[in-house]
Amino acid sequence: MAIAVELRHISKRFPGVIANKDVSIKVESGSVHALIGENGAGKSTVMKILYGMQRPDSGEILVNGQSVQFKKPADSIEAGIGMVHQHFMLADNFTVLENIVLGYEPSHGGVIDFNAARAKINEMAAAYGLTVDPDALVEDLGVGQRQRVEILKVLYRGAKILIFDEPTAVLVPQEVDELFEALQGLRKDGLTVIFITHKLDEVLRVADDVTVIRAGSTVAEVKASDVSAKKLAELMVGSELPSPEIHGSAKRNEVTLSLSKLTVLAESGARNLVSDVSFTLHAGEVLGIAGVEGNGQSELIEAILGLRNYTGTVVFKGEPLDDESVSERRDMGIGFIPEDRQRQALLMSSPLWENRILGHQRGKPVMNGVLIDRKATMKDTVRIMQEFDVRAPGPDTLALALSGGNQQKFIVGREMSGAPSLLLASHPTRGVDVGAQAAIWNELRAAREKGMAIVLISADLEELIGLSDRLIVMLRGSVTAELDPTKTTPESLGSAMTGAA
Amino acid sequence: MLEKGKLSGMRRTIIIFFGIIAILSIIRVATGASDLTSVGTAQAALLLSVPIVLAALGGLFAERAGVVNIGLEGMMIMGAWAGGFMGSKHGPWVGLLAAIFFGAVGALVHAIATITFGVDHVVSGVAINIIAAGLVRYISTILAQGGSWPGPSQSPDVEPIGQNGLPILSGGKYFGWQSPDILNSIGEKNWFLISDISRVLRGLTGELSYVTMIAVALVPISYYILWKTSFGLRLRSTGESPIAAESLGVNVYAMKYWGVLLSGGFAGLGGGFLAIVAANHYQENQIGGRGYIGLAAMLFGNWRPGGLLAGSALFGFADALQLRDSAAIHALLLLIVAFLLFAAWRSFKKGQRIATIVALALAGFFAWFFVAFEELPGQLVTMTPYLATLIVLSLASQRLRGPAAAGLPYRRGGLK
Repeated sequence: MAIAVELRHISKRFPGVIANKDVSIKVESGSVHALIGENGAGKSTVMKILYGMQRPDSGEILVNGQSVQFKKPADSIEAGIGMVHQHFMLADNFTVLENIVLGYEPSHGGVIDFNAARAKINEMAAAYGLTVDPDALVEDLGVGQRQRVEILKVLYRGAKILIFDEPTAVLVPQEVDELFEALQGLRKDGLTVIFITHKLDEVLRVADDVTVIRAGSTVAEVKASDVSAKKLAELMVGSELPSPEIHGSAKRNEVTLSLSKLTVLAESGARNLVSDVSFTLHAGEVLGIAGVEGNGQSELIEAILGLRNYTGTVVFKGEPLDDESVSERRDMGIGFIPEDRQRQALLMSSPLWENRILGHQRGKPVMNGVLIDRKATMKDTVRIMQEFDVRAPGPDTLALALSGGNQQKFIVGREMSGAPSLLLASHPTRGVDVGAQAAIWNELRAAREKGMAIVLISADLEELIGLSDRLIVMLRGSVTAELDPTKTTPESLGSAMTGAA
Repeated sequence: MLEKGKLSGMRRTIIIFFGIIAILSIIRVATGASDLTSVGTAQAALLLSVPIVLAALGGLFAERAGVVNIGLEGMMIMGAWAGGFMGSKHGPWVGLLAAIFFGAVGALVHAIATITFGVDHVVSGVAINIIAAGLVRYISTILAQGGSWPGPSQSPDVEPIGQNGLPILSGGKYFGWQSPDILNSIGEKNWFLISDISRVLRGLTGELSYVTMIAVALVPISYYILWKTSFGLRLRSTGESPIAAESLGVNVYAMKYWGVLLSGGFAGLGGGFLAIVAANHYQENQIGGRGYIGLAAMLFGNWRPGGLLAGSALFGFADALQLRDSAAIHALLLLIVAFLLFAAWRSFKKGQRIATIVALALAGFFAWFFVAFEELPGQLVTMTPYLATLIVLSLASQRLRGPAAAGLPYRRGGLK
């Protein structure tokens, strides 16, 4: 078989960090090649080097047997390489069409032929089952649709080698199935797919070959048919796979949160984002909310925190919250792990200790009267970093220098500070590696034992089933089912989420 | 989708245009302030709007490429000076080209500072404004000492640029043939509304400087370039999401440089217009804050060519009235009251209680002011264009959305 891409002895260092050290990968053309490793292991950096977004300090890249030097993405696009980014590279205020044609516009004398582009996009979308409205604004699209736009963008440029950076991190099972079907279709057409992930079951489902990266170096290259998930996990982290299980009940008598008839109206008078949701949550209990993304789960959590206007009542530890502001709610003991850590939870270009202050800016230990107590904040940041195993040089490190898993562990640690009675956790382990995931699960379990009530949203159905004491399913804003997690499988939950059951 | 939106937008614009003239003619009849809809006012309004439109277009290109350009004022100063300097030596057209070039030179400094070296955009822009004013004063002083300039604050005169009007309607002159001037004859009949409309249109289409025609044409041309061409899409992408643009092989630095250089060219032309068309020589302090007003018109115009044109026209109109006839400014208060009542009604319908109350209170205040003072004090008259523009624009445009990445520093490979 011909080799589509070969990387030889690639090394790359950033100030203070060695991202890659002697990485070598061979990808056969017409195959699906998985690149696996923990978050922060250096997978994304390798791929950014291959895509021309970063330049290697040393090493060689060969595409179809030819040695190449990529100075910028345009060079790699030229060579037939396309990348579907983990953090979507889309301009929100542009239409789908504009996002797709950008940089590769069909034009006559500089004037863009939007009609030709629209026709081509619709044709490709139909061929691979990636339907999306070309004239919609990207900001109005859900996560799954945005990813389709990303894939279409790459295909539109006629890429023969497609890099997917953790494509399933943000998808629900049905969307993952659709994506994998599309991948198989691409492979049949002779395209080469490089697939970055840390989810081992997906690797075994979809990949032909696997390269494992640990601590910036390639440690193994194997055939997917020859290995088990257990073996891959050992290669990846050198330990066994953890599982999201809770044991027994930690439920206490006192009620932490009760909602009655909570409704969130849509801005434009469309159907309610959340309608008539009522439930009671006891201390020491985890309530899992299942649902395909965009069915009101996020809005529900935002309403509980007071970020959205709603009708109905929210009672927290016996006190009605409806007239309280977000800051008052937080001060009363509600922690919040938002779904998009980079947008909602962190100031990416600020150091960790400043990020420690966010959401806690009204009290000890970060404040001393009206002034920020820098020393105490630093000290408490170090505490979080130790207790939650946040791997970073120090509290002065900028948030953007941390890997996704470490950012997330830091956020969990921050939100657990001051021992809130209620934690609203939206995708707490999204996009983090096995080790960080296990650590976060441990923290959530320990907090539950101590009597914290948790509202949990997750697209990872095993996590949702494993961690929850009770499960409710939301569809189009309403609660459509209540399930017992001990009797629920990911498959049955998945069909309940789409309303098929 | 865009096409449809544009068409209905066009119709709406026409309706609003004639609606405003109708209200003005009612006020004219009621107060006797004939300058509200006179040919002269319309002409002066257009002349005063053009530099602001050009500055606003300059701001548009820079901000759409993600660079905030506070330095428009300084670039206009350089343009005006170059217009006076080169125009007095080599004729007005060379003067205008020099104005564009000098504006672009100022912009180049801004581009190098902000794009290449990541200097804060506002800091760099303010520095350019200060340096430009000082630099031209310095060179002018040397020229005045050498005797080639009449004084350190004024250039020699520049020959005027030709002008023309629409054929048949506005009495243009073509190849020696003097066309009739239909709009003017209707305007003189003094029929209610019809004559008003004729006079305003006559003012906007007759005896136009060729530069004015070019400047007005630049508005739709800018729209076409920014929204219909590859160049425009790429330029806008660097203002919305430079990282996405970079990942698609767009040369973000080049696009930003283009945006800022074009911005300076527009600003320079605006300055040159002030020196060569609006006046007949360069004069110190000729720009008088028009760069900032252009920037404001662009912001209130929601970073769109049509919007910034409306904002500039409004300011130009109020400024023209203020210059021509302070009695008309007094009458203009009624227009502001009418507008505020409209705004109050609209926000009441949307259920925005506070906005309604504020608009009503302001309307009441201006109505009282209209009745209480027969004639406005001079300072207030001078202030009116600024005040009217501020009130109208801030109430008219409440949901503004600029380029997401405007003003943010960009580094290649920004996302690790």
